[in-house]
Amino acid sequence: MTVTPHLASDSAACCWIPLFALRSELARRPEIASLPVALVAPDTARPPRVWQVAPLARRAGVKPGMTVSQAIGLCPPLKLCEPDPVHYDEQFARLVAALVTVSPVVEPVELGRVFVGTDGLEGLYGSPEGIIEAIQMRSAECGMRNFSEGSFASPDSHLHSALRIPHSALRVGWGLGKFVSWVAATRAKPGEAVIVPVGGEAKFLASQRLAVLPLDPDTHRRLLQLGVKTLGALVALPEEAVVSQFGRAGRRLWRLAAGLVSEPVVGRVVPEPIVAALTFFTPVGERDLLAHALDKLVDRALGDPRRSGWRVQVVRVHAELEHGASWLVEATLKDPSATREHIAAPLKTQLERSPPAGAVERLVVEFTAFAPGTAELQLFARDAGAAARAGRRRALQSAAREIALRIRRPMLYHVIEVQPWSRLPERRYALIDYEP
Amino acid sequence: MRNGTDRLRAVNVPQPAVVELDAGGSPSKIEMRNCDVREPVTIEAVRETWRIDDEWWREPITRTYYEVLLKGGARLVLFVDLVKREWFVQRP
Repeated sequence: MTVTPHLASDSAACCWIPLFALRSELARRPEIASLPVALVAPDTARPPRVWQVAPLARRAGVKPGMTVSQAIGLCPPLKLCEPDPVHYDEQFARLVAALVTVSPVVEPVELGRVFVGTDGLEGLYGSPEGIIEAIQMRSAECGMRNFSEGSFASPDSHLHSALRIPHSALRVGWGLGKFVSWVAATRAKPGEAVIVPVGGEAKFLASQRLAVLPLDPDTHRRLLQLGVKTLGALVALPEEAVVSQFGRAGRRLWRLAAGLVSEPVVGRVVPEPIVAALTFFTPVGERDLLAHALDKLVDRALGDPRRSGWRVQVVRVHAELEHGASWLVEATLKDPSATREHIAAPLKTQLERSPPAGAVERLVVEFTAFAPGTAELQLFARDAGAAARAGRRRALQSAAREIALRIRRPMLYHVIEVQPWSRLPERRYALIDYEP
Repeated sequence: MRNGTDRLRAVNVPQPAVVELDAGGSPSKIEMRNCDVREPVTIEAVRETWRIDDEWWREPITRTYYEVLLKGGARLVLFVDLVKREWFVQRP
């Protein structure tokens, strides 16, 4: 992959929404927000395990990674939800798309965590506080709310706090490089931001716990055994001593802790408009033929290698008519798509409602705006197999909705293993409602 | 096994049955209560028996399972709850 220098930024804002998948689920189903809720892990591990846990369930002792049976044992009224990774990816793509309107340099790293490059934005928004305010305002449109509306601290409760957006779940950290901004985001309260001034990185990092470093459990344990509990304590050790104990990884950890490593945010190049055109041998006036030609052109544009990893958000069709006239329609897709049917549907509707005033000599399809592709985010849909599973899930959801509509009571269940090792057959499996 | 929000439903719950015993104490006839066919069915043979003792630390569960062959060739698994002295049918 080619990295374009102008799409890198040393100063970074880390935008973090913890428990993003769970919040997406609760935003979609507010009626369960007051219940102890947990998401079942999206993988196919056996026995099934709990993935993300709402505060009410956490208070009852439910923790991520527990088996479903352990969780239900601790919290009998636990509301278990089947995960919908494709929906979470779509919601995250919306957040990323909102942030792209603030800065062209955006680097999503995992579901709910994205870095925004802020170099050069001072001219638009002023100080880092202004940049963060723009980020918070844009991301607020995505509707990720905090679990408890009354849980906000007073505005002056944190030394570096910049702004507060009531009810927002977004935490923002600003600093030089991705690591500093990430640590700052972990220190921010929901709806608030923590700013680390340039030059103050070492001081800020010194008091942070060791767990903010990208450590493997063994290294973490060894450092704790050596009495190193904060980054300041780590930096107090001679760098060479840390290297002799932990090798190359030790050097990187020491330098991260000292604030000497500043990894830039690297954005991706948004494709230039993709154009596919067709010149007819003889001018065409039949709508069926034009609709067919539209399908073919959309297919051809989708097949352009520059489109890979991006979904189409805005599509435009331009027709050159007989006698020099022209015809133009444009559609903005509410849900960006990479499938021909979704992209061509609004164009065909326009073709029916307001067809060209004459026969078409040349037809041009142009993709002019893009949103990051679900697969490109590489969060869940990492490969063709995952994409196929997502497709099957969609089909299943559609069928389930149809059944629920006709029967009007829950009739679909998902079988989960509860205590597959139990000698009592009725303890081994259970059914949970399948809700599309 | 249902939780408070009625979200979790047990699978393979034992179904009550009425069982007649022969002189040796083995099941000889069975009548299933939650079944369309209410007439007693003769048990031709007992193919296997096993016992389960579990959860002795709270409410003890003690069962003797029988895998039986019914008249007509059907295979069935039933058990007697040795604590409550009640019979049930259950898939193994």
